[in-house]
Amino acid sequence: MNCNVANRFANAASRYPDNMALAAGKTQLTYGKLRQLVQQVSAQVRPALRQGRVGVLGSRSIEACAAFLGIAWAGGTYVPLGLNHPDQRLIALLELLELDALIVDRAGFQRLSPELRRAAPPLILAPQDEPGTFAPLDAELPAADLELSKQPAEVGPDHLAYIIFTSGTTGMPKGVMVNSRSIGLYLDAIHPWYELRPQDRAAETCEANFDLSIHNMLTAWSAGAGLYIMRPLDMVAPARFIRANQITTWLSVPSIVALMRQAGGLTASSLTSLRLTWFCGEPLSVQAVRDWSEAAPNSIIENFYGPTEITVAVLRQRWDGEGPVTRERGIVAIGEPIQGVEAIIVDAAGQPVPDGIPGEIVLAAEQCSQGYFKLPDLTAEKFREFNGKPGYLTGDRGYRDHTGVFHHLGRLDNQIKYKGHRIELEEIDARLREAAEAELVGTVTWPMTGDVVGGLAAFYSSGTLEPEQVRARLRQLLPPYMVPELLENIADMPLSSNGKVDRKALVALLNGRDQARAAS
Amino acid sequence: MTNAKLDSLRQTISEMLAKRGQSPEFSDEDSLFDSGRLDSASAVNILLELESAFGIDLGDPDFDISQIDSFAEITQLAQSQG
Repeated sequence: MNCNVANRFANAASRYPDNMALAAGKTQLTYGKLRQLVQQVSAQVRPALRQGRVGVLGSRSIEACAAFLGIAWAGGTYVPLGLNHPDQRLIALLELLELDALIVDRAGFQRLSPELRRAAPPLILAPQDEPGTFAPLDAELPAADLELSKQPAEVGPDHLAYIIFTSGTTGMPKGVMVNSRSIGLYLDAIHPWYELRPQDRAAETCEANFDLSIHNMLTAWSAGAGLYIMRPLDMVAPARFIRANQITTWLSVPSIVALMRQAGGLTASSLTSLRLTWFCGEPLSVQAVRDWSEAAPNSIIENFYGPTEITVAVLRQRWDGEGPVTRERGIVAIGEPIQGVEAIIVDAAGQPVPDGIPGEIVLAAEQCSQGYFKLPDLTAEKFREFNGKPGYLTGDRGYRDHTGVFHHLGRLDNQIKYKGHRIELEEIDARLREAAEAELVGTVTWPMTGDVVGGLAAFYSSGTLEPEQVRARLRQLLPPYMVPELLENIADMPLSSNGKVDRKALVALLNGRDQARAAS
Repeated sequence: MTNAKLDSLRQTISEMLAKRGQSPEFSDEDSLFDSGRLDSASAVNILLELESAFGIDLGDPDFDISQIDSFAEITQLAQSQG
């Protein structure tokens, strides 16, 4: 059986060639037209495929979408690279990945510095005037075999469909490898209850290097529905975007709700076109879900939970107007596992605990990813078999209540969510050590509003470097959302009894100053 | 007066570009947002400046957010309010 994820798109394109498949700004493409573009991309990358990995430097564009489908169609592995990563980090990723080809959209093209090009594979496909078309950047390469293949390339269940990078504690992002079978099982498991239809108009709310974008693309294109790309400016006014395009299905991180509330775009019954909303990627506060259900009275709302490692998401909870709520945190519960997934709460020794007792959330499912790219030790540590199924130790704390509903309580480590991004504080620490030429560093989330991270603050002990110098260096090493807003050189770094930097003491220091300021 | 305000906005955009580790230089026709050079947080700040300096009503249902992708478009929008 051919497990190529592009099959779902190919089937919809045969059935609904004249339906609108993809829109970005004023450009709209039918399924028939998009298929033609996808076949061209496929023909351009296919002759270069060796191990199969093809990078995409781009996001929120017709080109990035055509590249995603074109790589799959050719039988390659899709590797989205973040546009917001600084050069040094992209170069490190390119060196690690040893790509067969790199596809860039207009924004990605602007990022191609001479240093980046040196680290990139010989075949770089750059966008042409017609949306979704590409030409090799280096004209001296032999012309590609432009024979278009009518169907997606034959691939087996173990074929890697994509690699998505997420923050890593060592200072470098780690690549999660997801095979065709896993993403297929995920889409099949959610299909009975999401039921997108050809007349649906879905929004692409996410950056390409976030796996929710894969959900958005594949659910829309399995159904013959239209996918409307939110360009960077559209993200400023999501309510306007939903109204202007009469969006019917929506999946985003809950942070967007807070942004809309600030901008005054979330008034009662202002989003009547929505019939289905998923929130995923962060705790969903009761306040946010109440605001949304008032603004979108015709929409069912699902809270969706799952790390990238288990393939997009694996637990879901429908909001019933009142709950169920995780009282400890004032957030919506994460609910129950989807088909084929088992969630287990274990103690520190890895043994299951009774209902109501908190422990680590372990997820076991055939749709589990293959682990981390070129990191066998970390993969062995985090991925283990449970009850005969491949499993992943999430590092999330939670419990199952007596009704079988799961609740999320926070993290067992220093992984945080900030503005919808998943960040390991140790990754910032590692880069800060380098930037500040300091051994003792500590990054904390501050200020906090309940569970919501309002900013990042970092401290270092260095005799020579001023915060502004350190900040300038950090910008070369980390994406903007990971560069702490507050940076400070302190002589006496607080240490815990085991000699590590004491993050709690740093937070107490910041809180103490705040209180002193308020009192004066 | 408008020119002084536009110069100040140009300066703000240069600083935003620098803050994101990019060259502060840009031409009137350059795409600032669709190109990925600036992000949505920068857009919010630019919109706030447009609102306070030029009295542009962002709540107006006819206001099209995509018309501020380049400095030329921003200038046009600002002058239309004059």
